[in-house]
Amino acid sequence: MAVTRRELIATPLAAALASALPASVLAQAGEPLRVGALNPITGAGSPYGPGMQRAILMAIEEVNAAGGAGGRRLEAFAEDTQTKPDAAVLAAKKLIDVNKVQAILGTWSSGVTLAVMPLTDEANLIQMNVSGAPAISTQDKKDLVWRYQATNDRFGAAFAEIAAKRGYKRPATMAFNNASGIGNTEGFRKAWEKRGGKVVASVVYEPSRPSYRSELQKILAEKPDVIVTGSYLPDTTIIIREWFQSGDKNAWIIPGWAANPDLVKALGAEACEGLISVDTVSAENSAAFKHFDAMYTKAMGRPASTNVYAPMAYDMLITLALAMEAAGPGATVAQINARIRDIANPPGTAVATFAEGKAALAKKQKINYEGASSKLDFDQYGDVSPDFGVYVIEKGQLVRRDVVPIPADYRP
Amino acid sequence: MTLVGVANLAVNGLVEGAVIALPALALTLVMSIARFPNAATGDLMTLGAYVAVGVQALLVGSAFGTPLLGMTLATVAAVIVCAVVSVAAYELIFRRLGRAAMVASLLASIGLAFLIRSLITLVIGHEQHTFALPLVRAWNFGGLRILPSDLVIGAVALVVLAAVFAWLRFGRSGRLLRAVADNPDLARLSGIRAQRLMWLLWALAGVLSAIGGVLLGVKSVVMPELGWELLLPAFAAMILGGIGSPAGAVIGALLMGVGQELSVPLVGPTYKIAVAFGVLFVVLLLRPAGLFGRPELAR
Repeated sequence: MAVTRRELIATPLAAALASALPASVLAQAGEPLRVGALNPITGAGSPYGPGMQRAILMAIEEVNAAGGAGGRRLEAFAEDTQTKPDAAVLAAKKLIDVNKVQAILGTWSSGVTLAVMPLTDEANLIQMNVSGAPAISTQDKKDLVWRYQATNDRFGAAFAEIAAKRGYKRPATMAFNNASGIGNTEGFRKAWEKRGGKVVASVVYEPSRPSYRSELQKILAEKPDVIVTGSYLPDTTIIIREWFQSGDKNAWIIPGWAANPDLVKALGAEACEGLISVDTVSAENSAAFKHFDAMYTKAMGRPASTNVYAPMAYDMLITLALAMEAAGPGATVAQINARIRDIANPPGTAVATFAEGKAALAKKQKINYEGASSKLDFDQYGDVSPDFGVYVIEKGQLVRRDVVPIPADYRP
Repeated sequence: MTLVGVANLAVNGLVEGAVIALPALALTLVMSIARFPNAATGDLMTLGAYVAVGVQALLVGSAFGTPLLGMTLATVAAVIVCAVVSVAAYELIFRRLGRAAMVASLLASIGLAFLIRSLITLVIGHEQHTFALPLVRAWNFGGLRILPSDLVIGAVALVVLAAVFAWLRFGRSGRLLRAVADNPDLARLSGIRAQRLMWLLWALAGVLSAIGGVLLGVKSVVMPELGWELLLPAFAAMILGGIGSPAGAVIGALLMGVGQELSVPLVGPTYKIAVAFGVLFVVLLLRPAGLFGRPELAR
């Protein structure tokens, strides 16, 4: 799912157009709420970032067309994180100091979110992300950070569930040396040991090495029947190539952002045959997903199922807008933030769109937004619990073989 | 860890060392004659890898697209581009800074490194690219597993290194180059015309970087940071072997590669890089000029 250069240019352009809408739309009273769409347009997140940004802009149009939220319209400012913490911090500073945004939505990698969080916290802004690092939960002291993707701990628990379901007995782990990579394999280890199992070998490897043969050798010496990774695309490419050439036969469980069509493109179908790729799945049977999928397919020319992060980004803006509506006219950022759990968690009338939610709130009902990405029930840390899809690479295609739920109250 | 396991680790280290040896040799040659550490060496490798990946992708499907012919033509293209860019960098930048302090050239080379990398990112993007080569299973000699691709990488590196050494030792211009490195003033007094030699030197540095970049790209994945990540190990190999000593750079690279991999069972892969630099530290304590270095260049 390559993104063309033209699309990259078109996305910020759309943002500029959205913020330059004619004054007639400004009929709603009150200052507009300014939203920073801070997404990975380039870098490792570039397969997902442009779709995320488009989803946020689409949601803003939808909310504004429905008469705004809490008597205000929304205004977007789009920026690129380049999937790099340093570039993301510069972009976040610009959004906060120059554009005076009240919320920053859609940071993707954990490194970027952890770098941007101190800035949004300091300025008391709402931060919404799709990152996995467990540290994001604990460092969110002011309860201003909302995570729409599963934590690495939950990914690890899903890996353990899948390994157990498939009857593996001797798992080993390989982790890229950063918060997310180690988070995945540690999450797996904790969940696996809870089941009474034992991890037979584990390595944490350094980024950007020309070869990972010695690391593989150390792992393979213990004869694992499955290797679970917390890895990214470039290192996974090298590891799977060297593993395939070595002629070993064990299975692999790899996060979806590393074992994706780009990996098959780099290595060919034969080397990738049988690799298990795990990623969260959108709430594909929900009314919200169908509503979003129709819009997304029209705008991007491909279905929303091709970008699991786009429905998450869309849900960010819809939950924010519903919280604004619930908080009422003239609400502060803190007051809006305090209503996010109210409108997303049960009990309440289940709603699938912003317009439905707005109508129910007008009738003084308690609402429960069931999102396009997941049911969106935020726990005490502001984390959600989407289901996991299990994909097996068969003849070069990622084929979904199973969906694994992890209980919302799961704690490692 | 069994003996076979240790031998496997040593092989991994030798292959990695052989790849690092090429840029280390380029660094040390430039250092001994132009007298500054050329920080653009790594990104010149990246440029070579990108040129080769691009040419190979164009050839795939045509009569020239077979793995052997395609890679050869791709490497030749990379060698030509990198040699031209390297000589141009000398003419446009480093020659003009020749009379200034060493740090001026060093900073200029860092700037050139950023320029090359940024241009690659801007024009081609940040996504990874790989050479379209068939994956061949390892040969197993009683547990000692040799990847055919590693064998080719190691062989190409050794042939290139041998050719450069033979030329430095026996070739006429190679001998002149050594004379200039040894004593530039004496060389000029003897009637050696330095200009053409400098072009040769920079072209050679470009050729070594290009081939190093292609080999590294075949072994890993081609991304904008490919060569930059390898610059520090190449610097370390040059210093370990003794600045200005071509043989020292190669032996330094191999030693660091093998030392690093052999430390995996002892300290784990996270700290193996620290071990490689630990070796460097100890050698410099005992022999400040490096293994084969001359003290006056180390200063």
